[in-house]
Amino acid sequence: MSDDELDPVIHAPARLRIMVTLTALRDGDDLSFTGLQDLTGMTPGNLISHLRKLEEADYVTTQKNGSGVTSRTSVALTPGGRTALEHYTTVLQRLLDSAKPR
Amino acid sequence: MKDGASTGQSVDMDAAAAAAIMRETRERALRRLRPDHRATFTAWGLIWLVGDGAMWLIVRGQHPYHGPSPAAYAAIVLLASLAALASMEENRAETGVGGPSAVRRRLLFVTSFLGYAGAFALEGALAHAGAGRPVLGVFEAVAPILVTGLLYLAISSSIQDWPVAALGLGLIIVAAVSGFAGPEAVWGIVAITVGPAFLLSAALQVRLRRS
Repeated sequence: MSDDELDPVIHAPARLRIMVTLTALRDGDDLSFTGLQDLTGMTPGNLISHLRKLEEADYVTTQKNGSGVTSRTSVALTPGGRTALEHYTTVLQRLLDSAKPR
Repeated sequence: MKDGASTGQSVDMDAAAAAAIMRETRERALRRLRPDHRATFTAWGLIWLVGDGAMWLIVRGQHPYHGPSPAAYAAIVLLASLAALASMEENRAETGVGGPSAVRRRLLFVTSFLGYAGAFALEGALAHAGAGRPVLGVFEAVAPILVTGLLYLAISSSIQDWPVAALGLGLIIVAAVSGFAGPEAVWGIVAITVGPAFLLSAALQVRLRRS
């Protein structure tokens, strides 16, 4: 991927929503799987498949705490994920600027 | 616009659509994940303005000073309980958020309880040591402000929430200075400084959330 290209891992509506939602958290915080599902409006299966993609790219981490009915899966953005989204935003802004009529 | 939901591939989304998704998602996430202080600050502002204002009207002109009636204290406790409910509603915004923010929430709850309970116990100790009603009157008016101010300053500074930290600092200053006005006037000073400070902070939160 060149510097002018939008990161294909992020450049999908569902994954973009996940990444942007997680950046709204304060540093070090995480969000429960159900909270993320609620905010993104995705089905559990859909969310899991997109999270897997983002995890493979080291953009997010998921952690399961506890077991049984009390278990909680939390999702957090990694520093690499935050940097990747910042770069994505920069490239996106450049594309939008270049598309403006002069 | 294809979502690429299960594969994440062959995504057909232009830059404008991506920017719109980012903007809309960010607004919704901030609204849902960051606590909204407006209701809490408005509730506390009205309680301090009306409650302590009423206390001042009750004790004004008392010679010798014997303080507000038990019914007045009961009314204040009832109003404070309502404000506490507003605070709980505020914390609901952060449901699902774990990590340092969750630790801070629990810390604020525990230290608030210990702070107010400690102040209540200290008042008992002062009475036991022979402090008169005027001394206890000053303590009752300023101790809750001091506890609240210290908590706001400490917790908000740790997350660089400077408007709320400034409110905390203001409360500490009022608590430290207003007592010198004596057991009657202190209620009035607290009402006209702390009440509007909270209401002003609520208005500031409205502006900050819009920007």
